Amino acid sequence: MDFLKSMAIAASGLRAQTGRMQVIAENVANADSTAQRPGGDPYRRKIPTFMSEVDRAIGATTVGLGKVRQDPTDFRTKYEPGHPAADQNGYVKYPNVNSVIELNDMREAQRSYEANLNVIGATRRMIQRTIDLLRA
Amino acid sequence: MVSPISAAGAYAKLARLADPGASMGAMGKVGAGGGDSAGPSFGAMVKNAIGSVVDAGHKSDAQSNAMAAGKANIVDVATAVTETEVAIEAMVSVRDKVIAAYEEIMRMPI
Repeated sequence: MDFLKSMAIAASGLRAQTGRMQVIAENVANADSTAQRPGGDPYRRKIPTFMSEVDRAIGATTVGLGKVRQDPTDFRTKYEPGHPAADQNGYVKYPNVNSVIELNDMREAQRSYEANLNVIGATRRMIQRTIDLLRA
Repeated sequence: MVSPISAAGAYAKLARLADPGASMGAMGKVGAGGGDSAGPSFGAMVKNAIGSVVDAGHKSDAQSNAMAAGKANIVDVATAVTETEVAIEAMVSVRDKVIAAYEEIMRMPI
């Protein structure tokens, strides 16, 4: 049934946004994760990518989480000579995670999730109204 | 509301009425109530519909169990349960409609 197909497609969107949310959670949680040895590299921010997939079982194009890439931008540095991860000049490398950007990504993931939920809800209401025809 | 027993009886009788080959023999024993002669057209259709609904129910059951065990995604559970709900609702509506039609015919003054 085509209605069930559109529900399955929207569900793939929900799953993709769930995966994106997981990556964002990793970034936010690791915003202060430094290296464990002096001068080492800290946590590097991850970027989720989406790609369209052809689902042969339902014969439609769904969305899936692609490879999770690493953000190549520079790390933040702070002057903290007493820190265990400080290099010989006293600078500590902190992850290239910007909490404002993560917050916006999170908001976007939330909105996309809600959009997919609305698609499922609308589909369901359409099915419901069609079934109601039988009850008249 | 229609009870399951009257529904089963209506299915069996309608199946026999809808079966063109057995209709002559079945006319005499419509009141017998059993489901001996399986009608190929209507009965098979009902069986197929119920089978697909039962399949959907099993799927959503499996998903719910997996989630209770902490192994399933909430999205899969929600979609499976919604699909089952829709399938059951559609089947129940069709059943009510068929039984209403059957009862209408039974009320016909002869």
